[in-house]
Amino acid sequence: MPDSAYLLPAFLLLGLPFLVFILLWLGGKNINKLAGWIGALVTAAGLIISLKYADPEMLHIVRFNWIAIGNTSIEISFRFDTLTCIMLLVVHLVALLVQLYSMAYLHDDENLNRYFAFIQLFLFSMIGIVLAESLLVMYIFWELVGLSSYLLIGFWYFRPRAVWAAQKAFVLNRIGDAAFLTGILMLFYYVGTSDLEVLSLETGSISPGILTAIGLCLFGGCMGKSAQFPLSGWLPDAMEGPTPVSALIHAATMVAAGIFLLARISFLLTPDARLVIAIIGTITMLTGAIKATREWDIKRVLAYSTMSQLGLMVIAAGFGSWQTAFFHLTTHAFFKAGLFLSAGSVIHAVTPSEKDKPFDPQDMRTMGGLRKALPITFICFTICAAALAGLPFFSGFLSKDAVISAGFLWAAEHGALYYIFPVVIILSAGLTAYYMTRQVWLVFFGEKRYSSFVHPHESPALMWLPMAVLSALSLFIWFSWNPFNASGWFLSFVGYAESVHLVWVPVIAGLVTFLSIFLAYREVKSNDPFYVKTALTDSASKTGWNWLRDYSNEHFFIIPFSWITKWLKVFDKNYIDAWVNSVAKASVIFGHIISWIDRNLVDGIVNSVVYIIRLAGQAARSIQNGKIQSYYIVTAAGVFLLILWLVVM
Amino acid sequence: MIDHILTLLIAIPLLGAAAVAVWPSHRPENYRIIALVALVLEVLVSVYLYLSFNNKNPGYQLSEVSDWITLPVGSLGIVSIDYALAVDGISFPLVLLAVVVLFAGVISSWNIMQKTRAYFALYLLLTGSVIGCFLAQDFFLFYLFFEFMLLPMYFLIGLWGGPKREYAALKFFIYTFFGSLLILIVMICLYLSVIDPLETARVVGILGMEDAVHPDLIPQIQQWLVDGKIAPEQLVHTFRFAFLADPGNYIPGSLLDAASQYLIGNMPVRLLAFWFLFIGFAVKLPVVPVHTWLPDAHVEAPTPVSVVLAGILLKIGGYGFIRIVDGFFPVEAQYNMIPLSVLGMISIVYGGFNALGQSDLKKMIAYSSVSHMGFVLLGISALTAEGINGAIYQMVSHGVLSAMLFLLTGVIYDRTHDRNIDHYRGLIGVMPRFTIITGIAFFASLGLPGFSGFVGELFTLMGAFQSNALPVWIPALSTLGIVLAAAYFLWTYQRMFFGQFWYKNENSHVLTDLTVRETGLLLPLVFLTVLLGILPGILFDMTGPTVQAWLEGLR
Repeated sequence: MPDSAYLLPAFLLLGLPFLVFILLWLGGKNINKLAGWIGALVTAAGLIISLKYADPEMLHIVRFNWIAIGNTSIEISFRFDTLTCIMLLVVHLVALLVQLYSMAYLHDDENLNRYFAFIQLFLFSMIGIVLAESLLVMYIFWELVGLSSYLLIGFWYFRPRAVWAAQKAFVLNRIGDAAFLTGILMLFYYVGTSDLEVLSLETGSISPGILTAIGLCLFGGCMGKSAQFPLSGWLPDAMEGPTPVSALIHAATMVAAGIFLLARISFLLTPDARLVIAIIGTITMLTGAIKATREWDIKRVLAYSTMSQLGLMVIAAGFGSWQTAFFHLTTHAFFKAGLFLSAGSVIHAVTPSEKDKPFDPQDMRTMGGLRKALPITFICFTICAAALAGLPFFSGFLSKDAVISAGFLWAAEHGALYYIFPVVIILSAGLTAYYMTRQVWLVFFGEKRYSSFVHPHESPALMWLPMAVLSALSLFIWFSWNPFNASGWFLSFVGYAESVHLVWVPVIAGLVTFLSIFLAYREVKSNDPFYVKTALTDSASKTGWNWLRDYSNEHFFIIPFSWITKWLKVFDKNYIDAWVNSVAKASVIFGHIISWIDRNLVDGIVNSVVYIIRLAGQAARSIQNGKIQSYYIVTAAGVFLLILWLVVM
Repeated sequence: MIDHILTLLIAIPLLGAAAVAVWPSHRPENYRIIALVALVLEVLVSVYLYLSFNNKNPGYQLSEVSDWITLPVGSLGIVSIDYALAVDGISFPLVLLAVVVLFAGVISSWNIMQKTRAYFALYLLLTGSVIGCFLAQDFFLFYLFFEFMLLPMYFLIGLWGGPKREYAALKFFIYTFFGSLLILIVMICLYLSVIDPLETARVVGILGMEDAVHPDLIPQIQQWLVDGKIAPEQLVHTFRFAFLADPGNYIPGSLLDAASQYLIGNMPVRLLAFWFLFIGFAVKLPVVPVHTWLPDAHVEAPTPVSVVLAGILLKIGGYGFIRIVDGFFPVEAQYNMIPLSVLGMISIVYGGFNALGQSDLKKMIAYSSVSHMGFVLLGISALTAEGINGAIYQMVSHGVLSAMLFLLTGVIYDRTHDRNIDHYRGLIGVMPRFTIITGIAFFASLGLPGFSGFVGELFTLMGAFQSNALPVWIPALSTLGIVLAAAYFLWTYQRMFFGQFWYKNENSHVLTDLTVRETGLLLPLVFLTVLLGILPGILFDMTGPTVQAWLEGLR
């Protein structure tokens, strides 16, 4: 198909969600009942369009002129290629399932129209990121996606914590975005454009040092969106949003945008930049995994796990193997969305029907033994958890393997020290298996720990069907024929040819995983598995704001910022303004001295001047009775004297 | 009439002011109706102007020139002050902005109830002076309008303001007066150094009164000037911008001649003059550290005055930088790019941090203005096409956005007379429409793509990056401004609007949602910021050719 044929899908894919956003938003509460169906229908249409126009072999670009100033001309341009093809499918599919799920999950919310409107706004901006052909266009949608994330995290705006979390997410993202923008503007300076196609031809002309700096600046955007250390604190807090939103935005799609960005710009990342990226990814992966083993909130475990998995993808991009990163992105999108939706189903089930009962439906310490009441949820959750833990026959096994193999190949090229990275990944895979076993056990096995007024019940079909679909997509078969060899059709689809297949990698990784599960299982047999009983008693101390500060970046950003702010405010008031005031006071004193001289020396002249001014002042007073007439006269007299002076000279 | 369309634009409000002052009736409604009629006429005239403005023409358009004062003063030559008005791509967007902002201001003045006659007379006087400032093509005329702006502003703050109005008004006045004094000094020096080649040619006698101007004439006169062939008595001194910007018109050996060797202290006179002018306009913009009048003036000023102050008065500073400071001292401007852009960067970051520290809503917005105007200075100091266009764009964008922000503050203040951010919580519960429009204004101001703020910041930053003379760290540090903007706007939004509704005082029933008048005032501004954000070409097509020609003239 010619490029011009892609104008239509570009318009439809972006235009439909945006129009529906406006429609649902302005539609008001009357259309609450319909809103979900309208949203789902449009997303389904988007899915069909992306399938119809899928042409992965070819690159198609659509361009529009936007601004031209001086030597800079900026185009709004969109591209269709292999990456877009897969991302469009993932985004539309997950969004469709999540919207269906939300209709049941949020059925009695009074702002349903707004909810689905914001989901459409999110889709509009996410699809914009996916289609963007230039980094500037991507940045524009990048910011808009931040807006929709803000609106959706803070959807329950009457909860102070939710709003705080929304704001924190936006501001921390902004820090990364400022770096991203700096990188883009540096590209404009050195290359004159941020168009990806042009850049891929021109990067050779930039010196490596500057290219490293640009690459790291662009990576800043990824650090914000994909919750990398040290900008990661917003992601766990973002769990304040509705659970389907966490599934769609904060697990499957938006947080993966950073990885998508790295995949797009992989050609301009220098080895130095890649090393930094790999290190940041490692730190994020480990901290996320360790935090997840200690968390009690069912959603926050998953959030930390998302952080950790994003770290893994970033490391893969650091290895220079963006294809494996993208592979893990895709498998992760399905099983993590599945986990969140299943977690939502659990939360839905244990929420007491009487609203006034003090019960936290997200606390895993008050769950346990739910597999009997929620059989479907249990199966879906376990399948997705197995995929996340990296058990054989599940998708996560394949993609993790691919990343680890890439890591060993990379280390072989660079030297002994670099073997740390794949080894740490295997260790963290072990942690993943551990905390997922812990979570499955805490929620579904063991004795019932919930209160008597909680009556768990299986969720309706509208909820479990999407979960089932996502679980099915977490099986290996969709990505590779051979459950033990990652280089199946997905990787060849994105053009990744593994030079050597390391057979021992899946074996080692599998062994570590099983060992961790065994360790976790031993824990189950103990008296106080995972300290669930001990922790239950001191839960009271962890309420209010404390839990929010648990793992946030206050120490990195908010505290220093507020400190600087405080002192600058004092500085402004006590120094700059005080200096001005003291100058003013000194002038007044000086004025008094002068006036003393005046009174005593040139009395006669002054008197006559004053008399004139007063006379004029009285004339002006009829207009106004302020104190400023004298200034008025001074100005007028000044102008008059100026002319006089010019004339006389 | 059509030939004097620019005069009309100044004359309508001034005549309106006179009409208000002498109107026989004492019913306050009449004054505001006269003011409204004057502003509606202004809008109509500017629509006509917009339609007749030629975007492709990089030079001055719709010029009106007539001799105003001509006096022979012996050996000092001949004094010539012209009444010269014109617009070009640099001033025209600001003229349009002025009309929009002043129109919004008059509508929001609707519930001013005290001393209405004086209020509306001063308001119209201010309107005429502000527009005159952007139209004037003669430094003397410009200065006259510039000074005339101060007086109504002083009264408007000092008489209709808040509790500390007299302090704030005096502070405003002294600061700006100090600035204009510096400008005045340089203006006189410029005047003594520059001749009007056409008038001089007439005096010398090589150009008859009715003759057409030959293209070689000006170079010829300039050559004569260099050769000293013209007697001092025959030199016609001028204030015209067009002549001041051409180094060929400077009398050899005069104070501000490009080759001038005069030193004051250790500083060349031209450099000193450059800094004088810069500080004069920096007070207006305002640039840190001469900004402290702004928060006080805003806090005390009544809503419409704040709107006009932030919306249009600050822009005269930026306009002065482009037209006068850089226009007449291009060499010095290029020489001082780094200090100027550092000042811009400091304003951005410093203003941002201070905004974060405020608990008074108006002060927060005032400091955010300091930060946003820092982008203007950064863009102008870069002296690149992107930077200058971006700076003009940022001025227009900020004009619209700050007008919105102050109108929104006015909504709250009208109801409770309390602007403390911490005294409110969960306003979304009682004022949903107000919350949505404030949200739009906040997100637009923090530079969200799709709104005008983004384009202004993008291009000023891009201009600073594109400039070969500026080190990368200056614009890179300035991006901290967009992080801070997100922080202070969203933090304010969170504190005031979300959570459960709560108001510190008893009379929470007065917190009602936007009235029709308020909504009708705000929605067009929302429309403008979205329109400019999506189609920035509307402005860039207007400014681009002029800025390009201006930059070429600079080199």
